[in-house]
Amino acid sequence: MSSPSLTLESPTPAAARKRRLLEILGALAIAGTYIYLVLNQPADITGGPGSASALIALSGFLVGAVLLVVAVLPTLPVSTLVLIPVALVLNIVLGQFVGSTLVPFYLDAIGTVLIAVLAGPAAGAATGALSSIVWSFFNPTVLPFAAGAALIGCLAGLAARHGLFRRFYLAPVAGFLTGIIGGVVSAPIAAFVFGGTSGLATGAIVSAFRSMGDSLLAAITKQALISDPMDKAIVFTLVAVLVYALPRRTRLQFPFVRRHRVLTGQAAGQSAGAATGQGS
Amino acid sequence: MAERSTPALAAGIETFVYPGETEPVLAGVELSLAAGTLTGVLGGSGSGKSTLGRLLAGWLLPGAGGALGGFLDLGGTRLLFTGKAADPRINPGSWGRVVGFVPQDSAAALSTVRETVAEELAFGLENAGVERAVMADAVRRTASLIGLAHLLDKAPETLSGGQLRRLAIGCAVISGPAVLVMDEPFASLDRAGAESLADLVRDLVKGGTAVVVLSQRVDGLLLDADTWLLLTGGTIAVTGTPAEVTAAGVLKAAGVISPRPAPGSSSVPPVPCCPDPSDPVLAAQVPVDAVPSPPALELRNVSFTYGRSKRHRFFRTGAAAAAPVLHGLSLSVGKGEIVAVTGANGAGKSTLLRHLNGLLQPTAGSVLVNGRTIGGQPAGRVSGEVGLLFQQPRDQLFERTVEREVRFGLDRHRRRPAAHGGGTGRHDGAEATAVHSALAAVGLENHSGRHPAELPASHQRLLALATVLAGRPSVLALDEPTVALDGHGLATLNSVVRSAAAEGTAVVVVTHDLEYARSIAHRLVHLDSGRLLPLAV
Amino acid sequence: MRLHPLTSLAAAGSTAIMTTAAASLPLSLAVIAAVAGLSLAGGVERRMLAAAAGILVPLVASLFFLHGLFFPEGSVVLAHWGPARVTVEGLQFALERSAQLSAAVLVLLLCSFTISVPDLVAALSARGVHARFAFVLASTLTLLPAITTRLARIRQAQEARGLVITRGVFRRMAAFRWQAVPLVLSLVEEAGTRAAALEARGFGATGPRTSYREVTDPPFQRRLRMVLLLAAAAAVALRLWQPTAGA
Repeated sequence: MSSPSLTLESPTPAAARKRRLLEILGALAIAGTYIYLVLNQPADITGGPGSASALIALSGFLVGAVLLVVAVLPTLPVSTLVLIPVALVLNIVLGQFVGSTLVPFYLDAIGTVLIAVLAGPAAGAATGALSSIVWSFFNPTVLPFAAGAALIGCLAGLAARHGLFRRFYLAPVAGFLTGIIGGVVSAPIAAFVFGGTSGLATGAIVSAFRSMGDSLLAAITKQALISDPMDKAIVFTLVAVLVYALPRRTRLQFPFVRRHRVLTGQAAGQSAGAATGQGS
Repeated sequence: MAERSTPALAAGIETFVYPGETEPVLAGVELSLAAGTLTGVLGGSGSGKSTLGRLLAGWLLPGAGGALGGFLDLGGTRLLFTGKAADPRINPGSWGRVVGFVPQDSAAALSTVRETVAEELAFGLENAGVERAVMADAVRRTASLIGLAHLLDKAPETLSGGQLRRLAIGCAVISGPAVLVMDEPFASLDRAGAESLADLVRDLVKGGTAVVVLSQRVDGLLLDADTWLLLTGGTIAVTGTPAEVTAAGVLKAAGVISPRPAPGSSSVPPVPCCPDPSDPVLAAQVPVDAVPSPPALELRNVSFTYGRSKRHRFFRTGAAAAAPVLHGLSLSVGKGEIVAVTGANGAGKSTLLRHLNGLLQPTAGSVLVNGRTIGGQPAGRVSGEVGLLFQQPRDQLFERTVEREVRFGLDRHRRRPAAHGGGTGRHDGAEATAVHSALAAVGLENHSGRHPAELPASHQRLLALATVLAGRPSVLALDEPTVALDGHGLATLNSVVRSAAAEGTAVVVVTHDLEYARSIAHRLVHLDSGRLLPLAV
Repeated sequence: MRLHPLTSLAAAGSTAIMTTAAASLPLSLAVIAAVAGLSLAGGVERRMLAAAAGILVPLVASLFFLHGLFFPEGSVVLAHWGPARVTVEGLQFALERSAQLSAAVLVLLLCSFTISVPDLVAALSARGVHARFAFVLASTLTLLPAITTRLARIRQAQEARGLVITRGVFRRMAAFRWQAVPLVLSLVEEAGTRAAALEARGFGATGPRTSYREVTDPPFQRRLRMVLLLAAAAAVALRLWQPTAGA
């Protein structure tokens, strides 16, 4: 066992460049897949379940999500890395708890958005993708949605960086917009891989659009536009409630929160706390 | 034995400030640790002990974790810090190989990704790329040192509290560090656990490790320390040999708990003196001036078995050590009486306590409060009459400020029409008074605007106590109330418990600390494998 | 013979990919039958059944409801009520898609039920991203049951303070905050401690790692994994080459 130095060197720019390249490749894979699917969809739906689109959707989105994870995971500090399992557990446990009390939403991204707000867009994206990958251990049907979940985490982090969590009323707006983008991007997966949705309630909404003659992708996209923005608006609101309820020292232990002044509340968090008051 | 050789670890901390704060938590702390010595860093809750310990061990990194001005000197390598960006950045991995740390919450120090105790011990060596044969050897050696050799194949999450602490020590010492820092290692261990842990630490010191114990209590092992260092408000108040520090006479004022000069207390075995199985009901010894009325709390033949615990399909089950069971317990506590329930860790004390307010319903027998059975009522409804203070105060705290926290319970009780005796029709003014007096009783009236989670551990406990007190319950049930309390907190707790009893509240204290139980209670009962036995005070 | 965790992962993954690529009803049904047989042989049929039912019943029901009743592209109409038309094409689409999804879901579930997570973690802990991914996976699986019990403990502690959850969206949101705040706070704080502990034990280091746990990986299985992955890639390539064949 050698005895390495007690202090750390600064990271080399070459490694950072390689990571950045992987990130861009991952984002390109996801965007390219989405564009390809939207452009080619009309010929596809009656082509049978094994159609090339399902494979392209699956592989393009999965490769993109995996590239993002590979790019981001090694760069995260250990203090952020240990939060990811916590976030995944929160996604599952709080998602179930809230899901049991407020029926029509999934609310399975609370942990992802929490990490994004505390640790930034890259950590958020990795958490989203990992959430789907690890969750697929108990429910393989969530695996194809990894790219969408990564997008939600990334957008939540960007919203936090640009101060949308500084005002309590802006959080649901940011969530609503994130939900629109996330829903639209995930719709091709539901359409081409699953040929529908996994729940009966959402299935009924898709059926309504189908009965009006919409294509499957159009029907599912419209359904996603109904459910997802509301869902994400609620998730962002709940996360805002949570982060403002955290004590100041805990919040400020995250460099991302300090550097970008993600949250208001210089004076012991009282003023910000008051803004969250409608919950009680 | 500390000679002029270089110290294993030395530090000169001019100031240390957490991010976003202006007041330093540590200022003017200098220390030097020689190999093979035992140092006690003493101080009350919030004195900066834990911050100092984590800073020394590289668990709190200067820079990311806060601004440090001063130096750290590890085995002759001196790092200078000015609190600026150009400061050296500590490599926690290589630092951790020389300085081991055992946090208060040992469970949080585990990796959570290793299947067995052996693999958990090996985790640090795996990360360093040590060969398997060498690793296996080190695991065996460390396991026998910490006394877990027979548990190497167990899952870490099935260990008891004391075993977990040993495992955390093993993880810290497997790389053979020159320094070992332990934060409150004896908290919430029963006597047997504490004594065998003390032996382990003595072995480490004998083997040449410089051991630092952070504590708010001086007894047992710490009495044999080479040096004591008393922290108050983040600075060193006194330092020297234990005799010198004791002679300075400032320990008590600093909130450090000193051993009670209880003659012969250590020779009393923690077993019941005269169990009398023919006496099924341990009757209340009602204080002399009490009027005859139903006892405030009565347990009649209460039995309880945990139902088959739900198995999680995918996950390793954190199976409880052995489901505690109660066998036909009977106990009655009169108004104004203080009863202490003692017993070893895992005897079922917490299970018993959860029956008092209906959180657990007995499988047989009944629980009566003021002569009325509480069977079938949800705990939320019973809470007005029975105030229960849990072991983990943080589970009970959820508001944004101390003041709102105490007010929360009052809200609830006011909304319920059938309020118990004390005050009916409380108004907002009266409510504010009740909040203030509950906070004043625990000495937190000047902290009403703070976030509960930012209070030191001792204050969190007292706050949780205040939330229970504010509802003026007729039964007060406390689960291990002394854990995490410093000297000041303990004194407050005693006065609160005594004055509540003087006002007619029946108090049940569950504790593993026999000395404390003797000092506070009118009557002691001992819980052993699910049965209650009387115990002489 | 005991399968190396990566071998089972490769087998399950490539089977799922090939079933999706082939898109043939008989193959899907054959895979379902094979999984059923294997789970019986492995003694995991009960847990499989419970988990699979939870996932597949709503999925399949939704598919049949959606395509069985509403399939505008369908031409052979069996029945219709108002806007709903039952078409042969719709039912066939639903059937094929259900079988194909069930096959993929079941084969992956079988893999996660039979795989040994510690072995998988040890196999993945080579270095770099693998070690970190293995950490996330294993830590999540360890924390999940612990956190369920912790949530129950928090609920108890709050009930003891008089918390009774009542109806109404706002009261429930408040109740969410009361329970989630202590949970999140303690988790975040614990994660801070764990991060420091892991770093002190060298988890942040970038050098080579070793593994205490021994996972045997016979050369035969290594070759098998290569074959499986190549077969999956070939199936995908074939499907993309001839996008309309089969079905």
